[in-house]
Amino acid sequence: MVQENKFRMEKQLTDDDNIISLIGELDLSKASEFNSAIDPFVQETNRKLILNLKELTYIDSTGIGVILTIIKTRHALKAPFGVENIPPKVQKLFDLTGLTPFLSAVANTVN
Amino acid sequence: MESNNRTVRLTLPAEADYIDLVRLTLYGISSKMGFSYEDIEDMKVAVSEACNNVVVHAYEPGQGGNMEVHFEDIDNGLRILVQDQGLSFDHDRKVRSADSLHNKSLDEVSSGGLGLYLMQALMDHVEVKGEQGTVVILTKMVSKSEEMV
Repeated sequence: MVQENKFRMEKQLTDDDNIISLIGELDLSKASEFNSAIDPFVQETNRKLILNLKELTYIDSTGIGVILTIIKTRHALKAPFGVENIPPKVQKLFDLTGLTPFLSAVANTVN
Repeated sequence: MESNNRTVRLTLPAEADYIDLVRLTLYGISSKMGFSYEDIEDMKVAVSEACNNVVVHAYEPGQGGNMEVHFEDIDNGLRILVQDQGLSFDHDRKVRSADSLHNKSLDEVSSGGLGLYLMQALMDHVEVKGEQGTVVILTKMVSKSEEMV
C-alpha cells in the first residue's frame, strides 16, 4: 500500500460519542481489518458511534459493505450511529449504491 | 484479445494488496489522456471492483494466480481489460445479480452485487465474458466539456 494513502483509523472518545476517523484508502485489502477494529465500538451501545470520513480518500463496495453491516447492527441494537464529513466523491458512491437513505434513517435512531 | 500498440499491460498477483497499484497506473494513464478528475475517480472505483472480483472469486484459496490489466488508448477513450485464468463463473447470472440498495428495506439489503452495479453505473460500457477465466472490459470516453486535471 502506498504510504500516504495507507488506511488507518483514529479514535476520539468523549462522554457521549465514540468518534472514529477513517483516513486513507479503504478497499478490499483493508475491509476485514476495519471490520474487526470497529466491531467493539459497534457493540458499545451507551455512546453514539460516529464515523468521520473527512480524510477518507477512497472507498469501494467492500468498504460500503462494512458500513452497511454497521448500520444493520446499530439498528438492531437500537443504538445511535452517524457518518460525518463525507467527501463529495464518497458521497457520490453512497448515493449511487443507495446507501444514503439508510445513513439518514439510522442517524435518527434514538437510544 | 486484440490490442492496439497504445496498450499498457500490467500483470499482478491476484491479491488485494496489489489493487492500489492498478489505481495508480490508471491515474497516470487517464490524466495523461485528458480525463476529468471526476471521470478518473469513477474509473478508479470501477477497475478496482473488477480486480476485487478476480481476487475474491477467480482462484481457489491458497492457489495463487495472476490478474492481467490492459489499458488501451482507443480514439477519445480508454478501454480497460481485467482478466484472470481462474474459475469461470456463470457470467450472465453474475451480470443479472448486479444490484444496488435502492428501494429495499434494511432487512433485505446486502452488499452482494454492488461491485458490478458500480462498474455499470460508473463506466460508459461494461462487458463480462470468458471461458478460460473471466474477462471484464470497461470503457469510458473522454468528455470534452469537463474540467481537465
